Amino acid sequence: MIPDYYEFCNSTKIVSGTRALEHIGYELAALGASRPLVLTNTQLLELKVATLVLDALADTEAEVVGVYEEVPVDSSASVVDDVARAYRERGADAIVAVGGGSVLDTAKGATIVLSHGGTLMEHRGAESLLGRRAVAFIAIPTTAGTGSEVTSAAVIKDTERHVKMGFTSLSLLPDVAILDPRLTVGLPPRLTASTAMDALTHAVEAVSCVQANPLSDCYAKAAIGLIRDHLPAVLDDPRSPAGRLALANAALMAGAAFSNAMVGIVHAMGHAAGGVAGIPHGDAMAVLLPHGMAYNIDAVGDRYGELLLDLAGADVYASTPADERAAASIATVRAMLDMLHTAAGLSVTLGQLGVLPEQIPDIARAALDDGAMSMNPKQPSLEELVEILKGAL
Amino acid sequence: MAGGGWRTKRGRKAVAAVVFAVLGRGLVAAARLDERVRAEAGAWPEGTVITLGIGPFGPQVSWRAGGGMLEYLGGAEVEPTLAVTFKSVDGALPLLLGMKSVLGAFAEHRAMVTGDLALAMSFVRCLHIVEGYLFPDLMTRRILPRPAERRAGHLVAYGALVHRRARLEGASS
Ligand SMILES: [Fe+2]
Repeated sequence: MIPDYYEFCNSTKIVSGTRALEHIGYELAALGASRPLVLTNTQLLELKVATLVLDALADTEAEVVGVYEEVPVDSSASVVDDVARAYRERGADAIVAVGGGSVLDTAKGATIVLSHGGTLMEHRGAESLLGRRAVAFIAIPTTAGTGSEVTSAAVIKDTERHVKMGFTSLSLLPDVAILDPRLTVGLPPRLTASTAMDALTHAVEAVSCVQANPLSDCYAKAAIGLIRDHLPAVLDDPRSPAGRLALANAALMAGAAFSNAMVGIVHAMGHAAGGVAGIPHGDAMAVLLPHGMAYNIDAVGDRYGELLLDLAGADVYASTPADERAAASIATVRAMLDMLHTAAGLSVTLGQLGVLPEQIPDIARAALDDGAMSMNPKQPSLEELVEILKGAL
Repeated sequence: MAGGGWRTKRGRKAVAAVVFAVLGRGLVAAARLDERVRAEAGAWPEGTVITLGIGPFGPQVSWRAGGGMLEYLGGAEVEPTLAVTFKSVDGALPLLLGMKSVLGAFAEHRAMVTGDLALAMSFVRCLHIVEGYLFPDLMTRRILPRPAERRAGHLVAYGALVHRRARLEGASS
């Protein structure tokens, strides 16, 4: 079905595959840039993951003007302003961001400050940044989950008020995203599983949210199929470059899907659980996805029914009666979570993640206030949210 | 109707200006009648100015929260803390006439937001409550995320449209 109105944009060039990193010199030159500032964190340097990028850059005409390695786990406005200062001081003309969601979002924030002046706080908003970005921007994800390398959104903490600020603008889309399996083969099983569940949640929510459109659906469904096919195999054989590349592509496609179609109740509850109880994002997504789907089912049953093809494969889809497919999709997600519990130690309840019963009302209230809730196909009351969260406890 | 009614852009902007005036006073009226609006607006930072408008040349409406009051500023030129700006009058009208939901308009990228998105969420919740007072259930059933709860009837709400200011709860004055 074609929506009455929709928009879709994914302008990022995707460079994916064996030794893809080695093309970074060409990509910088193609962008007219030669003085990159590399953004990463100390842990990625110690693990020799960021080093792969620096090695690739060493053999190019580009001159790395600095390596900013102090990006914290939660990207914050003050770090963004600091990165922008380093960029200007060193006369950089590009940002190469190497890391997970926080490094990539910090880079996005810095491109806002560098393009529009002032401080990050002055540029809060949605779709409000007009004009071109003044910085060449290459994103190199080191996890397969957030999809931030192709999303037009950034979440950055306001260090003074301790709240997370949202930014959405097409000018946040990186020029180039590089997926190289060497960057993710070393990820431990649990992180592999939780980041993959984050990506799966992006894809499922993109299909069910009110901005879903024919193009975002294509990306979302392809992402789900890749995760179904490759996640168990990667847990069996973590160093498989083909499997890792498939998961990196799945995360990217799910990112492109939700960047255009948005996420909903699962992310709203997950952000809230993160804020109130400090639950890591991917872990929260894994636990909450089936519960969010169960709540949404009467509003989007047919769409979940379609997903059974991608979640469970053609045989299961064909042998399941049409009116049972939506419920079967949720059962498939539950079965996947159980498998990941056994294979990678993922938690299956909020209780196992350390959420206390008395924290549930606070999480419910914060979830109701979360921007992601506004794009969910159904708007829960506070009482309904408490019930959903209790069910996940 | 000015400038040829629906058929011209000028006519549609004139319609939008009228709705903005009603909505502008409607938010103040809702703040007088409904403690949920008082609580939302009372939590806005002191001196917050919110503008709802149509860019770049269309009409607009603004409110100011400060000194324990919510004030309707009409279409005056202001420096908003939060601006919700529709990209075109044609994108704004279905929402302004109660044919499309606020969240539906956002989902269709009809507006951009300049400022704190959490404040924008609070403002949207207030708009939902105002719509509950301005529109009958026949319409609100389609455009509100949940059934409208009202603290007063439509006629009382229409009567309250004469006011330009409302006292807020919890505001730091
Ligand atoms: Fe996520």
